[in-house]
Amino acid sequence: MLTLDLLINGLIIGVFYALMAVGLSLIFGILKVVNFAHGEFYMVGAYAYTLTALMLGLSPWLSLPFAFLIGLLVGLIVERLLMRPLYSGYTSWGIMRDEYAVIVTFGLSLFLINLVDKVVGPYAYKGPALVEISRIALGPILISGHRLIAAVVGIAVIVGVALIIRYSFWGRQIQAVAQNRLGASLAGIDTAKASAIVFALAGGLAAVSGALLANIFNPTPDVGVFPAIKSYVIVVLGGMGSVPGSIVASLILGVLESFGGVYISYQYRDTFGLFILILFLLFRPQGLFGEKTREV
Amino acid sequence: MSSRRIGLLAFAAGLFAFTNLTFAADPIKVGVTIAQSPPGSVSQGTQVKDGAEVAAKIINDAGGILGRKIELVFEDTQGIPEKARAAVEKLITRDQVVAIFGEHQSSAALAGIEVAHRYHIPYINTNGWSDVIREKGYAEVFNPGNYNSRVAIAVADAMKALGAKRVVSFCENTDYGVGLAKLIGAQIAERAPGVEYKSETLDRAGKDFLPALLPLKANPPDVVIEIMLPPAAYILLNQLNEQGIAPSAKTWVYDASGIADYPDFWQNISDAGKNLLVFGLYHPKMAMPDLGKKVAADYKEKTKNEPNRLLFQAADSLFVIAEAIKAAKSTEPDAMIKALEGMKWTGTRGEVSFSTEKSGYKYHQWLDIPYVTFEITAVKQPVIDMKLVQDPGKPLDTSRLEKAK
Repeated sequence: MLTLDLLINGLIIGVFYALMAVGLSLIFGILKVVNFAHGEFYMVGAYAYTLTALMLGLSPWLSLPFAFLIGLLVGLIVERLLMRPLYSGYTSWGIMRDEYAVIVTFGLSLFLINLVDKVVGPYAYKGPALVEISRIALGPILISGHRLIAAVVGIAVIVGVALIIRYSFWGRQIQAVAQNRLGASLAGIDTAKASAIVFALAGGLAAVSGALLANIFNPTPDVGVFPAIKSYVIVVLGGMGSVPGSIVASLILGVLESFGGVYISYQYRDTFGLFILILFLLFRPQGLFGEKTREV
Repeated sequence: MSSRRIGLLAFAAGLFAFTNLTFAADPIKVGVTIAQSPPGSVSQGTQVKDGAEVAAKIINDAGGILGRKIELVFEDTQGIPEKARAAVEKLITRDQVVAIFGEHQSSAALAGIEVAHRYHIPYINTNGWSDVIREKGYAEVFNPGNYNSRVAIAVADAMKALGAKRVVSFCENTDYGVGLAKLIGAQIAERAPGVEYKSETLDRAGKDFLPALLPLKANPPDVVIEIMLPPAAYILLNQLNEQGIAPSAKTWVYDASGIADYPDFWQNISDAGKNLLVFGLYHPKMAMPDLGKKVAADYKEKTKNEPNRLLFQAADSLFVIAEAIKAAKSTEPDAMIKALEGMKWTGTRGEVSFSTEKSGYKYHQWLDIPYVTFEITAVKQPVIDMKLVQDPGKPLDTSRLEKAK
């Protein structure tokens, strides 16, 4: 029974990791930059969900899409104000000096953490549960009602995003830009708009992840730091820019941490991902679903 | 001597007297190191800040010390040892404080006392529970707050009284947490030898503790002891409850960190708080000296919150500094240290005196700090209604306990 408990818990945590990592992976796929403020999108979502529900008395089911919209908006604003000047006028990312993006997003991360710390305060807040059922029995396994429903919502959101990217008009344009920015531009695709959509979507996904976990992880201003680190690991494990790779790597990491925490050592739980990362970088640097490329 | 020289001497003497007068009116600066941002416990930091400000106001409203007002200089340590070290260095060298207090996290206190010891500046350890702080044997460090050995003995006695056979503790990965978990193990082995004890260390920045908790589901222990500070402590308690492990008809949860009177406790804990047993250094139904009542009333007026133990510990920390300056008639470190060693003064919680016995945790420690145990019997319960199950100086009264259903 413990094995089943650990497997289910690992998969659930993996779903939450995936929500974060998919956004980060999309940003890398399109913009070829690592967004160091991604964890803060998660934090913004967690606070948006918790505070609207607790202070405005909004139903958690309304606070959840609200958190998504806030994450979307923050992503859009960040792209327009901070990211777009970096590539404005350039068609190819090869010309871009993307170290600027690292500095900008790192600064944004510190800014957002401190802004929330000063405006909302440093105290932890437990977000409301999506359902009032404290525990649900799945055969011999007991799971908290909120954890289970949050995981189901998380899966639905991931599937929705995957379908949008695969089949929608804008999703196909995003795929084209990810494959070849210059080529997509020559084919008449508005690459700037595709970048804006991706950044906004990534912000929204991270915000939903934060909102879904607000009841379990009691948000504080620095709540996004750890999930962001995990997401970077996942994106590399899955293959830089690969959305399916990120999803699979998230589930693997969640399960690995769950079992390793019991059968190896709980204290080293956060190092398992880093250990696997080192192995991948040594023996399969392109990750699970990435492709070997060579620049000439 | 020419009249010109006499005139110059008179001018110099006048200038000296004037300067002395100015100095006399200058405030006495006292440094306060607290966590005002994560990952340190901001809940604790805020309580210490409030307590320090209430005490400073009481002292200043009464005319100050030696005719000088007290001025508090706050520094944020984030509960991080490196930052605590830098904060104490800055307070001593740049702000020229005469003493330092406020620290509420052992790891940060252990870093801070090294600097205070190097500069030979009195350091009042407000709430660092780790015995190692005392075991260093630094003459500058005085401890009017609680200490791990005290809690360990209380917990071991409580386990015996509860008739526990198997006990599991979850401690945070800090000097305080790991130190207290080890001491509890040693005290249980000595005072309740039949009890099987196991400890698990958790990351204080961690969020998902389920892999550490799930193995307990199949065979829950009789008691889970929580040795963590918020926000990690809140997450741990919620996840214990979420999994149906504890509190339950079989398993008690004993909060050895005394977090139930934190202002944000009920904001972060729901059902998990019911039937929690709490080690407490303050309960509104405890008898208190007049100064304690005054501090409690002023705090209520200032913050509209109910008093908590850290309020009194912080206030006492500043009061003992003020009393030492008053007794020494000086802010010189040696004179203040001598005055602190000879102190017998009634503070907010009782008569404070510091042991000069140089053995282990006893050095410069107020040994007889009163403590209680109380049980939370309802969700959202105010501290005043939490049920006292152990009065100060008495054993745990199991007949008053209400077990979870």
